Amino acid sequence: MMRNIYLVFRRDYLGYVKAWGFWLSLAAVPLFLIVGASFGYFAATASPVRYFAVVEPSRIYADAIEGEFQRRSSEAAAEARALAEQMNIPLSEAEGQVADAAGGRKFIEVPAPARTLEELRPWLTGERTISGPAGERPLFAVFILSEDGSQLEYWSGDVNVDTLQRTAEIAMRDLSRRDALAASGLDPDFLKQADAAAVKVPAFRLNATQAGESGAEVTMADRAPTIVSAALAYFLWLMIFSIIQYLLMGTIEERSNKIFDTLLTSVQLPQLLAGKMLAVFAVTSTMMLSWSLFAIVGSAVSASQVPGMGDMIQPFIAAVTDPKLIIPALVSFVLGYILYGTLFMALGSLCDTIQEAQTLLSPMMILLMLPMFAIFVAFQDPGSPIVDIASWVPLFTPFLLILRMPHDPPMWEVLAQMGMMVVITALVVWGATKVYRAGAVHGAGIGELGGMIKRAVGMKPKAG
Amino acid sequence: MSDAPLVLSHATKRFGGFTAVNDLSFEVPAGQIIGFLGPNGAGKSTSLRMSLGVMQPDEGEVRLFGARPDLKNLKRVGFLPEERGLYKKMNARDTITYFARLKGMSAGDARARADELLETTGLGKFRTTRISKLSKGMAQKVQILSTLAHRPDFLILDEPFSGLDPVNQQTLEDLIKAEHARGATILFSTHVMEHAERLCDRIVMLARGRKVLDGTLDEAYATLGSGARITLEPGFDLPAALAPKGFGVHRAADKGPGEAWRVDLAPGQGPQDALRAVLEAGAPVIGFQPEEARLRDVFVSLVGEAEAAALDAPAGAATEETV
Repeated sequence: MMRNIYLVFRRDYLGYVKAWGFWLSLAAVPLFLIVGASFGYFAATASPVRYFAVVEPSRIYADAIEGEFQRRSSEAAAEARALAEQMNIPLSEAEGQVADAAGGRKFIEVPAPARTLEELRPWLTGERTISGPAGERPLFAVFILSEDGSQLEYWSGDVNVDTLQRTAEIAMRDLSRRDALAASGLDPDFLKQADAAAVKVPAFRLNATQAGESGAEVTMADRAPTIVSAALAYFLWLMIFSIIQYLLMGTIEERSNKIFDTLLTSVQLPQLLAGKMLAVFAVTSTMMLSWSLFAIVGSAVSASQVPGMGDMIQPFIAAVTDPKLIIPALVSFVLGYILYGTLFMALGSLCDTIQEAQTLLSPMMILLMLPMFAIFVAFQDPGSPIVDIASWVPLFTPFLLILRMPHDPPMWEVLAQMGMMVVITALVVWGATKVYRAGAVHGAGIGELGGMIKRAVGMKPKAG
Repeated sequence: MSDAPLVLSHATKRFGGFTAVNDLSFEVPAGQIIGFLGPNGAGKSTSLRMSLGVMQPDEGEVRLFGARPDLKNLKRVGFLPEERGLYKKMNARDTITYFARLKGMSAGDARARADELLETTGLGKFRTTRISKLSKGMAQKVQILSTLAHRPDFLILDEPFSGLDPVNQQTLEDLIKAEHARGATILFSTHVMEHAERLCDRIVMLARGRKVLDGTLDEAYATLGSGARITLEPGFDLPAALAPKGFGVHRAADKGPGEAWRVDLAPGQGPQDALRAVLEAGAPVIGFQPEEARLRDVFVSLVGEAEAAALDAPAGAATEETV
């Protein structure tokens, strides 16, 4: 029996992993991350130095904008120094980077070569250039104070790059606040001081099992189980979501290839189903594990490079290895996978063509979106009565039981829900096997599903 | 209980209100080649699928090597379904290996056997070619080889010749003979009577889900009897002239000038007796040819009778086959 399951599994698994699509999917996530990160880095470093000018009677607004740029540079330099200290990089080595962070300005103010927009147009359009710290360049933008002094107009040939305009807006707002505070006789840093003096609202976790202890401030160790359980629930959802096409297409291929009769003289139907389910599970696991490996290697590199990262990861490792969370999570994971997998495979066995299968995809997606909403609600408010009730709905139980585990639900509920999942999964497997047999062996179509369900629940007499 | 490769006893299969196979009983003795004949929708494929346990009879029983069909006795069976199908992305060698392994062969033996079969049937250079890249005939050959790879004791071939060109039909005939010579029992369904006549020891004929014949080729021919083809100048009433002498006379298809008639011969009568009676009746004879029954005639006659009987049956007794 196991040999037949293995042979079906092996053939299907190799069939999937030999396809180009599998390798493309496998490489897509790391590639996407690497390309995305590289693109961001190159976009930042490749951005050219741009000149701007401010036309105003005095230098009030030009100084305010320059002040805002300097404040940002100082912040960046401070962050760079702090990071260098954390990473034990000698300050002398870090100085260069700090200087880069402070001095790597992309917008530099130059004296305005003219006073009106019309006169400035040749410099803005690139017909003329102006000399500055980065050599001869055209003007990227000019700010012109309106005659009544109510607007600092921003003029540029490229309005898509709005960093300069936004920086100027922040500078103008700060300038206005400082003027208002000064006019009221208050310190210019009055608002910052007020913010710093606000009463803090720290979160503490009450230790219900040890009445004598008052509890401790909420740390990552307290949050890690919830985050891990949410990740597991989402992982299960993602896995089920990604197997739909494999199960549907694989079954349609066999049905349209008329291969079932040959197979069923060599393997029993449950063996065939088990082999196929395992193959798809292995395919998605291969993908997920590869991506996880990528993430683990990335984390390990970070942990070795960034002091304190190891301590940050530790609570998550503790949560993943906690039997109280991981045992119900594994039970939910396996049963949830079987429940949804057999359901989709049975539906696929009723389709002759991809077009037919596509008509099934929409209801399947809706079916899968429901647990996603439930996961979202449960993550936001795990103690909600809605979550308690929804966790008894068989289609949601595998996801919600995982999510409830960090919040210590009553043991009887955990056991009862696991028992319910076993019963429901067994029923679904039984029904799905019947549907699969009808589709694969007798050639039943999707239109006959209603009749099958009616017969199964006794609403319609059996034919013949 | 017989340990014959296959015994069907009063097997009946219904789909809704339609009876696809009705009270069918026959035996496939070891070492024989049995032809399973019948028109489209006669219930041949359903009978074969019941024989393999792919579907269960509603009534009656199926015994495969003396037991109900299960994976153990099915390992001794090679089955070629009517609707051919293979995994299109697998290559020829892997396909044969896969099905041979499912029948219990080890990976090494299955691979070696696949290579041997592909080589002997001229497909050696296509062993690593995907099924989707093979011609229809080649793919069909690969499927047939997948059926034979594990050296089964009993081969069930559902319409094995359909879709094959004459050269490949001959190759398949040779393969069937070779398997029979190896000791395999073979049951195959076909529409092509010539294949059955050349290959079969016995014939089981089905019409409208019922068995209408089960016997040797000679026994099949005997159901129709022999006759004589007489061609007369037009206008002579031969049936009226020969009726008093006890000959059955039917109009036959004209193959030249004159009117053609077939005169049925009763046991003990020869074609000369018919000719003598025609001449004595003063018929203007312009042609005469003794006729021996062929399987095709038996098929047309028996199936035609069954169809006629079905048409006479009460309305609603039969509907179009859907499975």
